[in-house]
Amino acid sequence: MLLSFNWLKEFVPYTGTAEELGEMLTMLGLELEEVTQPYDEISGVVVGRVLTCEAHPDSDHLHVCTVDVGAEEPLPIVCGAPNVAAGQLVCVAPVGATLPGGLVMKKAKLRGVPSFGMICSEREMQLSEDHNGILVLPETNRSGRKPALGEKFVDAYELDREVLDISITPNRADCLSVLGFARIVSAYLGLPVTLPSFTLEEKGEDMSGAVPVEVRDGGLCPSYTGRILKGAKVAPSPAWMRWRLNAVGVRAISNLVDVTNYILMELGQPLHAFDHNRLAGGRIIVREAADGEKITTLDGQERLLRAGDGLICDAEKPVALAGVMGGLETEITGESESVFLECAVFRPRSIRMTARRLALNSEASYRYERGVDPTGMAFALDRAAALMAELSGADVCRGICACTPQPWKAPEIRFRRAKAEGLLGVSLTDEFCRRTLESLGCTVEAVSSDEWNVKAPGWRYDLTREADLIEEIAIFNGVDSLEGTLPSIPQVLARFGEPEGRHAFMMRVKHWAAGLGMNEAVNYSFVGNRDLDHLGLPREGRVVIMNPLTAEQDVLRTELAPGLFQNVRQNISQGASGVRLFEVAEAFTADPASDTTVREVRHLAMVLYGSRYEESWAHADEDMDYIDIKGIVEKLFAYLGLAKPSFSMAEGHPYLAPAVAVKLADGREAGVIGRLKPALADEYLARKAVWYADVDMDLLRAESSVSRRVFRQLPVYPAVKRDVTFIASRSVLVQDVLSAVSGVKTSLLEGAELLDVYEPKDSGSRNITVRLTFRRADRTLQDGEVDKEREKIVSGVVKALGVTI
Amino acid sequence: MDLLAQLNGLPGELEERLRKVAGDADLEAARVDFLGRKGRLAELMSHLRDLSPAERPAFGQAANAVKQRMTELLDERKALQEQEREAAFLAGFDCSLPGRTLWNGSLHPITLAMEEVCSVFRSMGYEIAGGPEVETDFNCFEALNMPPEHPARDMQDTLYINDKVLLRAHTSCVQVRTMMNRRPPLAIIGPGKVYRRDSDVTHTPMFHQIEGLLVDRHVTMADLRGTLTAFLRAVFGGSTRVRFRPSFFPFTEPSVEVDMSCAQCGGRGHIDGQPCRVCKGSGWLEILGSGMVDPAVFRSVGYDPDEVSGFAFGLGVERIAMLKYGLTDLRMNFENDIRFLHQFPV
Repeated sequence: MLLSFNWLKEFVPYTGTAEELGEMLTMLGLELEEVTQPYDEISGVVVGRVLTCEAHPDSDHLHVCTVDVGAEEPLPIVCGAPNVAAGQLVCVAPVGATLPGGLVMKKAKLRGVPSFGMICSEREMQLSEDHNGILVLPETNRSGRKPALGEKFVDAYELDREVLDISITPNRADCLSVLGFARIVSAYLGLPVTLPSFTLEEKGEDMSGAVPVEVRDGGLCPSYTGRILKGAKVAPSPAWMRWRLNAVGVRAISNLVDVTNYILMELGQPLHAFDHNRLAGGRIIVREAADGEKITTLDGQERLLRAGDGLICDAEKPVALAGVMGGLETEITGESESVFLECAVFRPRSIRMTARRLALNSEASYRYERGVDPTGMAFALDRAAALMAELSGADVCRGICACTPQPWKAPEIRFRRAKAEGLLGVSLTDEFCRRTLESLGCTVEAVSSDEWNVKAPGWRYDLTREADLIEEIAIFNGVDSLEGTLPSIPQVLARFGEPEGRHAFMMRVKHWAAGLGMNEAVNYSFVGNRDLDHLGLPREGRVVIMNPLTAEQDVLRTELAPGLFQNVRQNISQGASGVRLFEVAEAFTADPASDTTVREVRHLAMVLYGSRYEESWAHADEDMDYIDIKGIVEKLFAYLGLAKPSFSMAEGHPYLAPAVAVKLADGREAGVIGRLKPALADEYLARKAVWYADVDMDLLRAESSVSRRVFRQLPVYPAVKRDVTFIASRSVLVQDVLSAVSGVKTSLLEGAELLDVYEPKDSGSRNITVRLTFRRADRTLQDGEVDKEREKIVSGVVKALGVTI
Repeated sequence: MDLLAQLNGLPGELEERLRKVAGDADLEAARVDFLGRKGRLAELMSHLRDLSPAERPAFGQAANAVKQRMTELLDERKALQEQEREAAFLAGFDCSLPGRTLWNGSLHPITLAMEEVCSVFRSMGYEIAGGPEVETDFNCFEALNMPPEHPARDMQDTLYINDKVLLRAHTSCVQVRTMMNRRPPLAIIGPGKVYRRDSDVTHTPMFHQIEGLLVDRHVTMADLRGTLTAFLRAVFGGSTRVRFRPSFFPFTEPSVEVDMSCAQCGGRGHIDGQPCRVCKGSGWLEILGSGMVDPAVFRSVGYDPDEVSGFAFGLGVERIAMLKYGLTDLRMNFENDIRFLHQFPV
């Protein structure tokens, strides 16, 4: 909301600066964004009198003028405007002055004649689009004072030099006008509000029945009024009005339309001027639209309506979209002579639905959506009519055409001082509370010693409940003056001993992963369907966004992979040689059984790419591989106190090959490890293998919460180790060998682990070296008994797998 | 020369030899030459039987003394060599060698900021609560006093899954879910991702918020101020000042915007005569929104607003991270460039 500081001061005798006012309003909940000086760029322009005006000797359109700007000598100025003439009062940009756009006036020669400045048009000063000729100033300003020659134009004509841009929260419908701000300033500072004075002279017979108004739906329109004006001459508005509207961001159109906008900005009451002669049947019907009805609005667009939209109709057709925008057919044109001036109140809900659906936000709908003061209608209508009469020469007809199906009734609100004190944590006096509420326009009536009945004024749509009144009391008492206290936080015994919460668990996992040396990534939860398609992920089960910002963000990720692969791409393109990222986040799939229709599962996903170590002198230059990522997953299980998972080849994975299923000891699938298929890796600029792992953390959390850490006694007697190398065909897995080892019945074997895998060239076989550990709990082993056991195991494995040693 | 003289001459010879010894192998050769099984001492001892029985004890004693002396000489020499080696190692030790780089693990700055906030409130006794990121319109808006036509919905340009389901536009839904499932008193903090249909230099369509809620008998706005002051001081330092400005949120009444004194310029608004770039010269930074829980919210979750009162607040985690770490570009948070991530090691 743009608020002209001058305009406000016409309503309330505020004596501070615009900045101080802004600060005060901010602390009253009306936040100042900035103070602007809309006419700062033309502050060098002065008022001058054209003394002489001759045709230029070498030009058929230039004039050579002398202009008195209050200096000793008049300024010679060459002017190209067709309308320049001796005797005019004009705006002069002398040498050294600047004009909008940064143009600095310099001494110039135009076709041989020197010129010491410029006589300005409105467009050159960005006052309007008018560039038909120079601006000829009226002899007196708005206050009736004659400007001095050489006086600054912006001062001489009292332009609105300071404008406060204030952001208005949706509840403050009352502050969408100069009057609204004046009321707040008045209430807070105890200053009087002066309403603009005018004389409304009604003429002729009573015309209150001349345009019968029929409101069919009081829920849409509680009150509708209008006045008839006759004999209007449509013309541009006077300069002061155009310049003022311009200062607060409203484009001037013509006197009649400008008056409606002026009153809108001043009093917050939207008005609409119909061409009276074009209202068929000379009547007004306010009703709900039927589905499929159409109207062409002022902006030339045909609008398709739905039941529930509010319509203003004449006897034949819709003439306006109630509270949103007028219709094209009945708009005021240059030929309009008779005006029907509408002043109505519509219910916020209906206006909001219509404006939203049609994406039609007008100054009127903006106010109606939030609530327009029904008690201010009469004043606004009369003020507008009087101003139209003054500016257009029209006669205001006697009487008001009106229909008020739901007369306004002030809401009655209970107020208890004790409740306010209890909520705010301060002590308040009755006197302060009463004074505050009354200064806001409320009436206060004591029901008992501790309870009041408060009636809010018509412009305060936001005051309907006790909490709303308490907020006003808090604001006027100063929310910033509260002394802070620290509440005691209630502790509930039952909470203690509850299992670890999800957040705490996930944080623990994040710390573990970072401690291990991976970097945490955070990606958007949405990706493009295209990204999921690229990875061959199924289309069914995707959760699609109805109104995505872009096609790259139109679906919720069903896996974390797309984001992490994109991160690999980003890092490769930035020259990274090794990438180790992890992310802990939700994956989303459709689930009709969920109250949100979506199932959210927290995953830990990890991606490894490129060099195992930073490029550094102390490490061999090797790339990360399967056993790096697998080691991390194994370590995760160990960290969470879970039994070792099993790993088995998974068939038909959409984007990983090999893909290895990670299963809990009971066989349930907990995740997958694998290498991104090289054909898909190009998309991510990856020339080397991209290793990826994805684990269901909600599952692991559930498993981990029931696992217990159990201490085992340390062995007393030493172990004996024997290494055995099996020569096995390529089809034999390491796991097969280890399983075969543990499949042999022995009493001394404590464990077997892989020591080395060697692949002799061109042999088609692998040498798998296993370290066997033997131990007895009750004594030291003898070499002989160990060797016997070893032989037994070796022959068992050889027999079982057909390997040699 | 008689045997005894030869014997007694050995230590001198060894000393002579040791002067020329260089390195461990040389020293070992000297030891073998003099004390080895076929060494000089052994060789002399082999002549013991040539001596008369009367001479033998004296020779034996002398031999023992010579052996001991030579062992001492060798040990001394060995110790000296070790000292020299240690001295050479220390003299040549390059303390400037770069350390072997292990993996530089890190937590995302958003996680770090979120945890810092959460830990302050945990220490005050709040518990962490959560909720789904895809929410119902009811939990996200209606229960929070924002019916479909409410103008405040302009403030939340929301991403929808269908007419009734959306990506939560704020973490305030966590309040609703928690209150629906539990009875007061409640002290919760709800961190998480939130989504808006907004993307430009200062907005990302996904960001992170932390919701706080205290509901009990007699919770006051003064308690809100005290709590937020304590929190901001814990995160930004003990000299942080707090400003309450009236504002509007549909789910709180009264509502306040909370500003804190600028952490960069200490609230002065300028640094060395230049306007502070962080607070743009105002000395204040908008940090969070808060207020007393609106009675309509209590009613929608079945609490009696005459029985309990409460406060709620919501803050942007990215904002905290930017202020704490001096991040300038929001979007960098979601690019996951390791050069960025490495700056937040754990």
